[in-house]
Amino acid sequence: MLARTRTFTLEGLQTRPVNVEVDIRAGLPGFAIVGLADPSVREARERVQAAILNSGYEFPARRITVNLAPGDIPKIGPGLDLALACAILAASQQLPKEPLEGHALFGELALDGALRACQGTLAVAQGCVEAGLPALVLAPARAREAALVQGLRVAPATTLRAVARVLGGGDADPLPEPSEPEPEPGGADAPVGPDLGDVRGQHHAVRALVIAAAGGHNCLLSGSPGTGKTMLAQRLPSILPPLSRPEAIEVTRIHSIAGQCDGGLARGRPFRAPHHSITTAGLVGGARRGWVGEVVLAHRGVLFLDELSEFAKPALEALRQPLEDGRVAIVRAKHSALYPARFQLLAATNPCPCGYSGERELCRCSEADLARHRRKLSGPLLDRIDLQAALENAGPQGLGARPWTSSVRARERVLQARERQEHRLRGEPVALNAHLDARLLARHARLDEPGERLLCEAQARGTLSARGQHRALRVARTIADLGGRERIDPRDIAVALALRTGVGPRASRAA
Amino acid sequence: MDAVQTLRRGDPGYPPALATRPGAPTTLRVLGGHERLARLLHEPAVAIAGSERPSDYGLQIAASLARGLAAAGVTVLGAFADGIAAAAHEGALEIDGPTVALMAAGPDRVQPARRRGLHARILQHGCALALQPPGVPWRPWHATVRARTLAALAALTVIVEADQTAGDLLVADAAQELERPLAAVPGRVTSPVSRATNALIAGGAPLVRGPADVLDLLHGVDGPARADNVTTASPLPSSLPKRLLAVLERVGAGQDTPGRLTRPGQDPAETLAALAELELMGLLARGDGGRYVPRQSLPDG
Repeated sequence: MLARTRTFTLEGLQTRPVNVEVDIRAGLPGFAIVGLADPSVREARERVQAAILNSGYEFPARRITVNLAPGDIPKIGPGLDLALACAILAASQQLPKEPLEGHALFGELALDGALRACQGTLAVAQGCVEAGLPALVLAPARAREAALVQGLRVAPATTLRAVARVLGGGDADPLPEPSEPEPEPGGADAPVGPDLGDVRGQHHAVRALVIAAAGGHNCLLSGSPGTGKTMLAQRLPSILPPLSRPEAIEVTRIHSIAGQCDGGLARGRPFRAPHHSITTAGLVGGARRGWVGEVVLAHRGVLFLDELSEFAKPALEALRQPLEDGRVAIVRAKHSALYPARFQLLAATNPCPCGYSGERELCRCSEADLARHRRKLSGPLLDRIDLQAALENAGPQGLGARPWTSSVRARERVLQARERQEHRLRGEPVALNAHLDARLLARHARLDEPGERLLCEAQARGTLSARGQHRALRVARTIADLGGRERIDPRDIAVALALRTGVGPRASRAA
Repeated sequence: MDAVQTLRRGDPGYPPALATRPGAPTTLRVLGGHERLARLLHEPAVAIAGSERPSDYGLQIAASLARGLAAAGVTVLGAFADGIAAAAHEGALEIDGPTVALMAAGPDRVQPARRRGLHARILQHGCALALQPPGVPWRPWHATVRARTLAALAALTVIVEADQTAGDLLVADAAQELERPLAAVPGRVTSPVSRATNALIAGGAPLVRGPADVLDLLHGVDGPARADNVTTASPLPSSLPKRLLAVLERVGAGQDTPGRLTRPGQDPAETLAALAELELMGLLARGDGGRYVPRQSLPDG
């Protein structure tokens, strides 16, 4: 007998529809799976057999052939278990065949017949809609993800027997309660994460962070140990605009595939802070099929590199492409794929290897150490960082200094600045000041005479390259937006210039 | 001009300042041509020396001294070394002023190797003197030989910053031993790297605040036309707006970060803008960890 069920496999961040075809005939008992099944799928043989038996069904002692079509796509993951089991049951006439055409099946089977949720649930749900399948049967644990997709009937089922009931027209099991109340993303709710008001003093660095948030600029924080760089960096997400609904779904999908989703819609922008021992593959992905790098997990959010100089140079080099294009291409022998990776880069560094640059009495670094440290920080990465801010050692007020602002107030200003940008850049290919190239700068960041003169002076002094000029203009544009001004004042340029250099140790010392 | 020319004591090109000193090196290897060397050493020259790990203040003052001297047509001498010496060479080179660099080891050993660029630029208008034969690697005592040669060659040696260590005081000790004129730049009494320079001043060495003081010592107070030359090198426009002057002075007084400069209630953007303008005018430089440092001493009030 022949039966067919519908399911999906994951390929990178995409899903591919899979038809599970089962043929049962007389012959020596056997159970063969063909169709480029990877080891986790081939192990389904044991799981499916035990689950079917323990659910009270019969396992046909005949020759069973399972084909996972199409035959040229690798099938991965234990999520195909359910479709396999149902196809076998249908082919041995223990389940009706008609409902199987309209239901997609996705889930891993436990040996006792219980259904387990798998990574990538949201992506599979979206795949169902694309493939025109009206219903999806899956485990309850991650069913909330699937429920986010419009136009799909989600039918959770706890066991194989429950699946049979659903397919027979019965009721589905209930969706699990959400772990936290879900606010509507995009709405004006409270900022997520630690508050900017926790930061005492450091007004200039806080201001720089607000500018970075408003324009989407990459930012480098420098300072001796203990000045609060990490603390400040962790507060960036709280002043970024909330995710729009499409963005939230995009982020949830990525995190669901990577197994990082807690079952609900993503709240707050992703904030990824990998340790500096991370490898290139860990950062951009590609180690094995389905491995998603940190840059992709940071899509629509922030990638924070603490102790920038401690990261391996190849890893930092690999960031070049995503910073440039907002995507990362993974090319392997058997497959290649493009992953979205549009994130804001935030980095922190010590001014010198021992961390105390400037405190002559405390700094133990030799010239060679300093030169090496500076070299690490230079190059294509620094080129793409528009803003640099130094955190100072606690002044006489220490922890008694007042905070510059709170997350609520800062986010308010950021949102207003973003609105201005959106309005100005409508119809353009970019939406943020940080992504303005030379052509767009000429169109949207015009300077009047005093401003031009200031920039020319800087260039004449030899300290400002063309790239540096563009950086200064982008930042100045954002500063003007934060101030509610369409016109860029010369003072905005001056402040932008002040926020651009001076993080390396003894930058004034000629190399 | 890559050719190394050898000058022996007694050769016509051998610097006269050294020829009369007992214990002067018998052989000098010259990069840049001995005619140029002779021209550069024809008039009294000034050596600028000090710690190889100075503070930003020291670096800026060394550079500003060298700039001022070069503008006045005085040749600047220095070891080819990190720190004060390198800053002095850079300072003079900023206005294409000629300097003479003393290399401790052989003429083929550009050390520190990191400063090869500086070496090449020095040779564009100046000279380099190596005190050891080609192929000889660095040995610790080469620094002492160089210090003595430097002190002997210069009409005046200015120590900008030095701690009480043998290394920092090599040139000062040599100058005192050879009874050559020595001057020093004062610094904070709380700064380790001004310990020795302040001690020298306390012990009677003349105090140097800027290029004008050096020229005074060199030529005597009635020196020729020094005022004009010095002002071209120190571009402090008399029309500097009060707000910028105020920031400049406060930076010099030690409020060297935006955080310290901004008073509570003041708009931080104003401070940053003023700092940027001063930096563009060449009156401020960036130093350690984003701090600002003045590029020259204050003019006389």
